Amino acid sequence: MKVTSRGVITILVTTLSLGAVYVLNPGSATRLMFSLLTFAGIYGLAAIGLNVHFGWTGLLNFGHAAFMGMGAYVTLLLIPHAAGREGEVTTTGLPLILAILIGIASASLLGLLLGLPAIRLRGDYLAIVTIAAAEIFRLLVRDLEAITGGVYGIISYSDALQKYRPKIIDSLLVDMDISVNQTWVGVIAWVCIFAVLLLLKRLNSSPWGRALRAVREDEDAVRALGKNSVWLKLQSFMLGAGIGGLSGILLAFNYGSLQVSTFVPILTFYIWAIMILGGVGSLSGPIFGAIVFWVIISETDKIAEIIFENANGQQLAGVRFALVGLLIMFLMIYRPSGLLGKKEELLLDVK
Amino acid sequence: MSNSHLLEVKDLNKSFGGIQAVNISNLTFENNMLTSIIGPNGAGKTTFFDLISKFQSLDGGEILFEGKNISNSQPYKIARMGMVRTFQLTKVFDRMSVLENLMFAGSSVRNDSFFYSLFKFGSQKDNEKELERKSYEVMEMLNLDNMAKSYARELSGGQKKLLELGRAIVKNPKVLLLDEPLAGVNPKLAEQILEIITNLIEEGKTVLMVEHNIEAVMKVSERVVVMAEGEVIADGAPNDIRSDQKVIDAYLGSGNE
Repeated sequence: MKVTSRGVITILVTTLSLGAVYVLNPGSATRLMFSLLTFAGIYGLAAIGLNVHFGWTGLLNFGHAAFMGMGAYVTLLLIPHAAGREGEVTTTGLPLILAILIGIASASLLGLLLGLPAIRLRGDYLAIVTIAAAEIFRLLVRDLEAITGGVYGIISYSDALQKYRPKIIDSLLVDMDISVNQTWVGVIAWVCIFAVLLLLKRLNSSPWGRALRAVREDEDAVRALGKNSVWLKLQSFMLGAGIGGLSGILLAFNYGSLQVSTFVPILTFYIWAIMILGGVGSLSGPIFGAIVFWVIISETDKIAEIIFENANGQQLAGVRFALVGLLIMFLMIYRPSGLLGKKEELLLDVK
Repeated sequence: MSNSHLLEVKDLNKSFGGIQAVNISNLTFENNMLTSIIGPNGAGKTTFFDLISKFQSLDGGEILFEGKNISNSQPYKIARMGMVRTFQLTKVFDRMSVLENLMFAGSSVRNDSFFYSLFKFGSQKDNEKELERKSYEVMEMLNLDNMAKSYARELSGGQKKLLELGRAIVKNPKVLLLDEPLAGVNPKLAEQILEIITNLIEEGKTVLMVEHNIEAVMKVSERVVVMAEGEVIADGAPNDIRSDQKVIDAYLGSGNE
């Protein structure tokens, strides 16, 4: 394996970030670390899906939250759960793995349905349509209370996953004040990341991946060479949406109860921040982007303390937004290629 | 089919905001010929290419390619039928290597497909090897082989023209529509491109080219079509065109002899 300066910087930044968690949180660092890495795995997975859209194919998808939500809702509604104001219990359901596969397929299908009318649009117009579509999805889920539980959400579904939790997690974490449930979700998230990356590595170096890059570079030339660019874009949209769906499913299991407010536009922008931080177009960049991003998010209260005495939730959220905003600005000015992105293949031509 | 032409346009017209861009009542092209389309700026030459490759929709008329009506076809379908175009402003895939540019161009729809790529059937490896060999062959012909692994955006303007021509060649079409293949190219390179184009004709291909370099056009073309204000004002052998009074008035000027 070739050692690049990008690689060294990435490892360094990631290690320093994780080190900072230990320095800033003496005593509770290990517990924090488990939670942080679980979130990073899940968000990283979503960013990997988004990278297929933007990094590979040049599609500006600002509605990734909807794909995540679609995966989560379909899967949870197909397994035993309780939903709505009265917590109406459904005790029967499909086997978990089947429900997850259907959830991923539904997210892909949403990508196809959304893509069919929208994918012919040029860059920024697609961005507008996707952000609107994601809001329509979220509001529909909120208002179709009879099916989705509406604002009351879905609960009591975690057992379907946790009953498969290996005993070894419980015995390793005994007396450690670390959530075994969350750890199990985290383990699955990272296994999924590696599986998805292996799959994408195969595709990226294939003629199909090459065709997507060509679409990203110049659609007219692709069409002039006899390739159906619309179909290629739709395929890319479906693949990335499916990966987003898987991430959404894991996010739901990580929370243990599902709220529709999880899938607000800010989720999409966090995923974008992770992708840019990791390096647009780079295969494994989003993983490192996600870790560093979550270190920043989880240490927000330390920074908030500088400004506020006993910062409340709202103030913390404000500081978080400001930090993410600053992070993106800093990246755009000084390192638009992110941690692992190739400068020569810079997609965010900001200068 | 016996008396059908390779390419035929009937009553083709297109206007932009009331201004007539193209209005051609009948024009046919035959197999294995090099035809140049010349005319003053804004004569509708590129629009004509855009229309027959369906990058723009027609206002009216019919386009027949090998007897089949392609007036309502998608651009990619026309390219698959064997008529491939290049662009006046080169459209290379900037952030892909020169080799990748060519391999993508030559790759078949099946070779590009998702499942074929995911499961990497053995034959794909062979296809790719063959594509790479063909691409290197074309790069050698275009003197680009030392740039194979460079990003296409690192090429000079003239080299980008070559690469675009190369992509069309790797695709191996029946008809090539070349939009100003010599624009912005130095004389030596232009010489080389003309040689490649004449070789294509020798191989049995058909070439239509829009070009402003009159000397080159007159030297290599078997037929010259002159357009002005969207209409064909002259059509014939280079020598007849040179002495055509209408063409001299509209385009060549009296200084040309």
